[in-house]
Amino acid sequence: LLGNLEVLLADSDPERVTILERRLAEISDVVTMRVPAGGSLLDAVVALAPDVIIVDMARPDRDALDDLRRVSVDNPRPVVMFVDGDDRAFMEAAIAAGVSSYNVVDTAFPDIKPIVMAAVAIFRKYQKVADDLNKAKATLLERDTINRAKSMLMRQRNIDEPHAYRWLRRRAMNESRRIGDVAAELLASEGGTPK
Amino acid sequence: VTSQTVFRIGLLRLTDAAPLIAARELGYFAAENIEVSLAVEPSWANIADKLSWGLLDGAMMLPPLALALQLGLSGSGGPEAIVVPAALSLNGNTVTLAERWAAPVLAGGAVPALAGARRFATAIRDRGEKPVLGIVHTFSTHNLLLRYWLATAGIDPDRDAIFTVVPPAETVDALASGKIDGFCAGAPWGEVAVRAGIGRTVATSHAIWNHGVEKVFAVRRAIAEEEPRRLQAVLRAVLKAAAYCDDPGNAVAVAGILAQDGYLRLPAQTILTSLPGATARNEGCGDADVSVFFANAANFPWRSQARWFLGQMRRWGYLGERADLVAAAAIFRPDLYALAAGSLGLSVPTSPVKSEGSHSADWLLPAASTSIPMGPDSFMDGVHFDSC
Repeated sequence: LLGNLEVLLADSDPERVTILERRLAEISDVVTMRVPAGGSLLDAVVALAPDVIIVDMARPDRDALDDLRRVSVDNPRPVVMFVDGDDRAFMEAAIAAGVSSYNVVDTAFPDIKPIVMAAVAIFRKYQKVADDLNKAKATLLERDTINRAKSMLMRQRNIDEPHAYRWLRRRAMNESRRIGDVAAELLASEGGTPK
Repeated sequence: VTSQTVFRIGLLRLTDAAPLIAARELGYFAAENIEVSLAVEPSWANIADKLSWGLLDGAMMLPPLALALQLGLSGSGGPEAIVVPAALSLNGNTVTLAERWAAPVLAGGAVPALAGARRFATAIRDRGEKPVLGIVHTFSTHNLLLRYWLATAGIDPDRDAIFTVVPPAETVDALASGKIDGFCAGAPWGEVAVRAGIGRTVATSHAIWNHGVEKVFAVRRAIAEEEPRRLQAVLRAVLKAAAYCDDPGNAVAVAGILAQDGYLRLPAQTILTSLPGATARNEGCGDADVSVFFANAANFPWRSQARWFLGQMRRWGYLGERADLVAAAAIFRPDLYALAAGSLGLSVPTSPVKSEGSHSADWLLPAASTSIPMGPDSFMDGVHFDSC
């Protein structure tokens, strides 16, 4: 392979793509390019003819790449997915992290793996931040549901808060379920909507 | 055997995801003791990759893409193979063009598919211009049916038009901005474009191929082999949900379920136009083509239809000379369907193949125990496709 390895980054998250660029710059002989904001992945691939494409799997226009995989007169350099068949765990981790990579046929294989690995590591870190945020939101939501169920019980049965909580906890234990689920069901059955 | 793990199903924001969404929302999976997660995926490529790397157990799938996966033409070459134990829907796609191109096609009002395609051919010749046509995937029913429509009128899809891949949810914007001149996509996107005054529907997939299969349900082969009872439970739930979705009396309820933010995120009224019982649709081309989920043996995975798609894929140069078409068609598994349907007391077609295109009127399909009433299965050019 002559010259630099040209890597096209198709990632709509501006912060993540900047980190990715910085990380890849530490790997020698890599030139990174971005799909312009709002631009199509297909147009960028055709115009820039990269050696490697790193794609955020949340992009719906990834489907266009299957067309580029067919060799045709217009497309003499087919695109293939990076596959490391011996490393199933790595491929699963990449897909679970939401990143997919393609390389152009004949690109030297050993040059690519470190790039893809770096991308996967960064996507995973982002995924974890997003997951933690979702978990935190879910916890807040559950706490709110339990509070509303408690208020409802206190009103309906004329009991105090510790009693209402114990009622929910006992029911959850008896039915081997989570308190939040019992609370949500109670609100729903009483016509309230568990938000 | 009840597995402890969640059965993970992937789908796209399309009307014909209805049986999968309804099976979960109406508790059919729960009634079979199967815990199911539904993931709305942004692309077919995601579905293909997640199936082949074992991150999904089943998914809504385009039949040609399922075949392309088996042939190694798509996907990332993951270790998991797939099988197709059921189909999910018939019909449902539209060919929708920008006004500039729709006008000459619909000049005298509604037209049959063949006449419409011929007028489109004339417009292309007269203007000396290649229309840019959006399809949702190379290995899609939409691509193959749109090519069929064009080719029947003498248009060479590769020479006289430009095909470009546009995700279904982006077709309407692409048409509005002039990036494309028309598209073939699943419901409800054609209707969304028509209602926004951006385009007009000139043909339906039903007019190109009456009651052609549209989406199938694909699962990892390992599940069929290692957890057959679990797969049967999933299939029973899907078949029951398909029957529910096919009843026009349930259309309002189904539209309401699909419209939710977690699924299609579209107005229920728009979705309703592509569900059974709808009438005010595709007035331009006079074909109230709606998705069929259950009637017409809709869920039977016909090997003859797999072969028809393979034939079309070969026609357009997508298959290598050495492609193993027998192995590809064999991923369609009517035997797995038959077990589930039989256990629900449904009639099961007695042959895995039928003559495609030879029924131009309603007919009775031989089945055990009672024959199944079928609608026509004609192609727009009257061709008969016999695969056996």
